[in-house]
Amino acid sequence: MNWSNVRLILAREIRDQLRDRRTMFMIFIVPILTYPFLGMIGLQMSQFVQQKTTRVLVFGAGNLPKEPPLVENNHFAERLFRQPGKTRLLELHLAADAPKPRGDLEAEARDAIDAGTYDAALTIPPDFGSRIDAYRQAVRQGNKPPQVPKPEIIYTTAVEKSQLACDRLRIVLEHWGDEVAKSFLAAAGVPEWSMQAVDLQTFDLARETGYRGAAMWSKVLPVLLVLWALVGAFYPAVDLCAGEKERGTLETLLSSPAARSEIVLGKLVTIMLFSGVTAVLNLLSVAATGPLMFSQLPGFGPPPALSPLWLGLALVPASALFSALCLAMAAFARSTKEGQYYLMPLMAVTIPLAILPAAAGLELNLGTSLIPVAGLVLLLRAALEGNYWQALQFVVPVLAITLAGCLLAIRWAVEQFNSESVLFRESERLDLRLWLHHLVEDRGPTPTAAEAVFCGVVILVVHFFLSLKSLPKADFPGFAVQVAVTQLAVVLTPALLMTIMLTSSLRQTLLLRWPRWSVLPAAALLAVVLHPAVNVLQVAVMKLYPLSEEVQQALTGLDAVFMQPPWWQVVLIVAAAPAVCEELAFRGFIFSGLRKTGSPWRAIFVSAAFFGLTHGIFQQSMIAFLVGLLLGWLAFQTRSILPGMAFHLVHNSMGVLTARVPRSFAAERPILGYLFHPSDQGGMAFAWPVVLAGSLATVLIVIWLARHSEAKPGDGGRGVPLTEGLPADV
Amino acid sequence: MIQVRGLTKHYPDLRRGRLVALADVSFDAAPGQVYGLLGPNGAGKTTALRILSTVLRPTAGTVTINGFDVVAQPSEVRRRIGFMSANTAVYDRMTAWEMVEHFGRLHGIAKAELAERMEALFARLKMNDFRDLLGAKMSTGMKQKVSVARAIVHDPPVLIFDEASAGLDVLVARALLRSVAELRDQGKCILFSTHIMREAEKLCDRIAILHRGRILAEGPLEALRDQHHERDLEELFFQLISQHDEAYAASNDLSLHSGRRQ
Repeated sequence: MNWSNVRLILAREIRDQLRDRRTMFMIFIVPILTYPFLGMIGLQMSQFVQQKTTRVLVFGAGNLPKEPPLVENNHFAERLFRQPGKTRLLELHLAADAPKPRGDLEAEARDAIDAGTYDAALTIPPDFGSRIDAYRQAVRQGNKPPQVPKPEIIYTTAVEKSQLACDRLRIVLEHWGDEVAKSFLAAAGVPEWSMQAVDLQTFDLARETGYRGAAMWSKVLPVLLVLWALVGAFYPAVDLCAGEKERGTLETLLSSPAARSEIVLGKLVTIMLFSGVTAVLNLLSVAATGPLMFSQLPGFGPPPALSPLWLGLALVPASALFSALCLAMAAFARSTKEGQYYLMPLMAVTIPLAILPAAAGLELNLGTSLIPVAGLVLLLRAALEGNYWQALQFVVPVLAITLAGCLLAIRWAVEQFNSESVLFRESERLDLRLWLHHLVEDRGPTPTAAEAVFCGVVILVVHFFLSLKSLPKADFPGFAVQVAVTQLAVVLTPALLMTIMLTSSLRQTLLLRWPRWSVLPAAALLAVVLHPAVNVLQVAVMKLYPLSEEVQQALTGLDAVFMQPPWWQVVLIVAAAPAVCEELAFRGFIFSGLRKTGSPWRAIFVSAAFFGLTHGIFQQSMIAFLVGLLLGWLAFQTRSILPGMAFHLVHNSMGVLTARVPRSFAAERPILGYLFHPSDQGGMAFAWPVVLAGSLATVLIVIWLARHSEAKPGDGGRGVPLTEGLPADV
Repeated sequence: MIQVRGLTKHYPDLRRGRLVALADVSFDAAPGQVYGLLGPNGAGKTTALRILSTVLRPTAGTVTINGFDVVAQPSEVRRRIGFMSANTAVYDRMTAWEMVEHFGRLHGIAKAELAERMEALFARLKMNDFRDLLGAKMSTGMKQKVSVARAIVHDPPVLIFDEASAGLDVLVARALLRSVAELRDQGKCILFSTHIMREAEKLCDRIAILHRGRILAEGPLEALRDQHHERDLEELFFQLISQHDEAYAASNDLSLHSGRRQ
C-alpha cells in the first residue's frame, strides 16, 4: 500500500466534492434548513389541527339530567373544557328528541359522518337523566344504586377529524362524569375534598443531573446519527464511483500507478469524512432547533452534556460501515442514476435495524449487541442515558461486529474495483425470451451463482408462506406429513427442477460421487463427537436470546410428539429426510452455484446462511448456520454430497434420540450419570469433561479430513466444478 | 518496447454465448516507432489497449512492456506507460494545472521537479491560457491537450493512444498528431490506434490491421502496399476487411448447412 497515493487520492476527492454544488447542498444546506423548516411546518400543522372545529350530532339531549348541566346554550358547558373559550371546538347539533331504536340512531349517525355533515355523534339513552337521579337518590339513602345506561360516542377511525371529535367528546364527558360523581358524594353527605386524600406527586431524579429528558434524546439521537451517516455516505459514494464511470474519468484513474486498493481506500476515507460531517451538522441542527420547539413538553431538557462525546465516538464506526457499504454498491452502479436506485434497498435494511431497539423495546445485552447497527444504537443509547457501566460491558462485541461488517464491505468494494464485468458493465436491453433461451440452451455443468441465490430465495419464500399456513401438529403422523411435504416439495423439488433445467450435469451439480471410503464413517463420527459441544452452544444461544413463551410451548409439545412412534420412524422423518433433501439443495445446487463467485469460503458461508434461515426460529437458525458452515466445508473437502448426508443424519438423530432416553437411565448407572444427565430443556446435558473430549475429537477429525482432503488446488478458482475430472461413481 | 504474444480476450455475451474480442493477437513495437493499430469500430482495438494499460486482464497470451508483464507486474507497467483514450476523460471539477499535477504526483515525481516539468510542458503544448480553467468549462481541444499532458507528464518510455483524435476538429487533430510525432522523435515507443487512414499514413511506421479480434495484415506501410499491390491504404484496408468478412460469412454458412445435415 502506497500511503502517498492514498493521501493524494483523498485530497483530490475531497476537493472535488467541495466543488460539487449538489454535495455541498446535501451536506451543509439541508441539515441547517431541514429541522427549522420541519419544526415550522409541524407547528403550523398542529395549530391547524388543534383549532379545527368539529361538529357533533347529539341524539337525546333532552334525556340529560338537569344537574350538573352538560349542555348550555347549544354548547357543552365551558367549565368542562381544559382551557376557557374553547366551546366552539365542539359545535353541537341537537337532534329532535323523538325516541328511536339504537340501530336507527347508528344508521343516521353513519350517514351523517359518511356525508361529512358531522364528525361524530353522541347518543344519550332514553331514561338516562331519570336513572342518574335514581342513582343519586339511592346513594343518599345508602341503597344499592340501579344500573345507568351508557351514553355512546359514534365515530370512525378512518377519518382523522372524526377521531379528533371523539377525543374531545371523551375529555368533556369524563370531566362531566367527575362532576356527576361529586354530586353523588355531596348527596351522601361526603365532602368533596375527601376525594383528594390520596394524591400523587413525582420527583425527577434527572432534574438536577443534566440528564433531564435524556430518555427522549437517547432514542432520537442514535437513530438520527445512523440515518444521516448513511445518507451522508451515499451521495458522495455515488458521485465518486458511478459518477466517475459516467464521466469517463475512472479509466484515467485506473491506468495511473495507483493500485485498486489505494483508490478504494482514498475514496472510502473521503466518503467517511462526508458521512461524518453530514451526521454532525444534522445533529447540531437538531440540538439547536429541538429545545426551541419542544421546550413546552413535560420532562424535556437539553441533550446530556456528554452527548457530543458519545455521538462523536459512535460516529466513527457508523460512518466507516456505511461508507464501505455505499462505496461497494456505488462501484457496482453504471451511472449516478442507477446508483441512486440503490439507496432504497440500503435504507430498507438500515431503517428497521436502527429503529428496532426503540420499537421492539430491546435492551442492550450480549445478544442484541451482536446485531449490526441495532447494537450500536443500543450502546449509544446506554451511554446517552448515563448507564456507562452497561455500555462499557458491550463496547467490544458492538465494535467487533461493526468492524467485521466494515471489513467485509471494504473487501467487497475492492472486489468490485477489480472486477472487469463491474467496471465496464454496459447496459443491455432486457430481452426475456433471449435470456430464458440462454438459461436453458447455454447451461453449464453447474449452475451460476445467481441461479444458486435464486434457488435459495425460492426455498426461503415458499418455506415462509408454508410456515404461516401450517399449525404445529400435536400427533406424529401429522408432524411427519408436514416435515415430508416441507422437505420434498419446498426444499428438494426447486433444487432438483433447477438442476435439471439449468445445468447439464446432475452429477457435478449435486456432487454425486463416492468419496474415499473412510470419509463416511469419519463424518458420522464427527457428528457424534460434536454433539455435546452443539448442546452447550444451544444452551448458550437460548440464554443469549431467550425463546418467547409461545415458541417454548410449541417446542415442548414437539418433544412429546417424538416420544410417540417407534424410534426408526422418528429418525426417518427428523433425520433421514432432511439429510437427503437439505444436503442436495444447500450443499448440492446452491453450493455448486455459489462456488462460481470464486471463493469456496464465500460459497460455504452463503449456503450456510440459506440453510440457517430455513430453520425458521432465530435461535435454531443460528445453530443451523454454524452446522451449515461445517457441512459446506465437508462438501468442499470431500467433493461429495455423501459425507454431509452422513453427518446430517447422525447429527439430527442424536438430537431426537437422546430426548427419548428415559430419565432413570443415567441415574441408575452412576458412571454414566456423571457423564450426562437429562436436561431440563430436553435431550441430554453433558458434563464438561465430555464436552471437552468431544471438542478435542472434533478438532482431530477435522484435521484428519483436511489432511485427506480431496479438494484440488484449482478448487479455489472460479467455476471449476468440484467433481470435474473425476470418474462418475454414483 | 511492447511485446504482445497470442493475446486473446473473451467476454460472456447473452446473444452470442461468448464474444471473442481478441483472438491470438501478436505484434512488437519498438522505441522511436509509432505502431498503428488500424481497424473498424468493434475490431478489438480498445480491448487490446485496455489490456496493455492493465485496466483489463487477458483471457490468454502475454504482454510485456519494457520487460514487465501486464498481469504479473501491473503497477510497474503503469509507471512506464502514458495511456490516453476517448474513455480517459478530464475531471470536470479540476483545473488543467491541478489535473496534470495530480497525475504527476501519483507517478511519484517530487513537487519541485514536477512544477518545473509542468511549466515546460504547458508552454510546449500551449496550455498556459487555460491552466486555471475547470475541466467542465474547457473546449474539446483543451481537454485533449490536458489529456496528452497528463499522459506524458511522467516522461514514460511507452505511450498508448486509443482513438485519441476521435471527435476532434481538424486543427486540434493536427496539433495532436504533431505532438505524437515529436514524442516519437524523442525516442518513445508509441502505440496509436485509429480508424482514420490519413492519420495512419502520416504517422505510423508499422501498421497492424485488426478486424473481428484478428490481425489481418501487419508490417511497415510500404511493405503492406507492395505485398497487396495497392498504394491507397484505404482501398487496401477495405479489400482486407471485405475478404475476411466474405470468408467469415462463408464459414458460418457452411457450419449452418453442415449443422442442418446432422
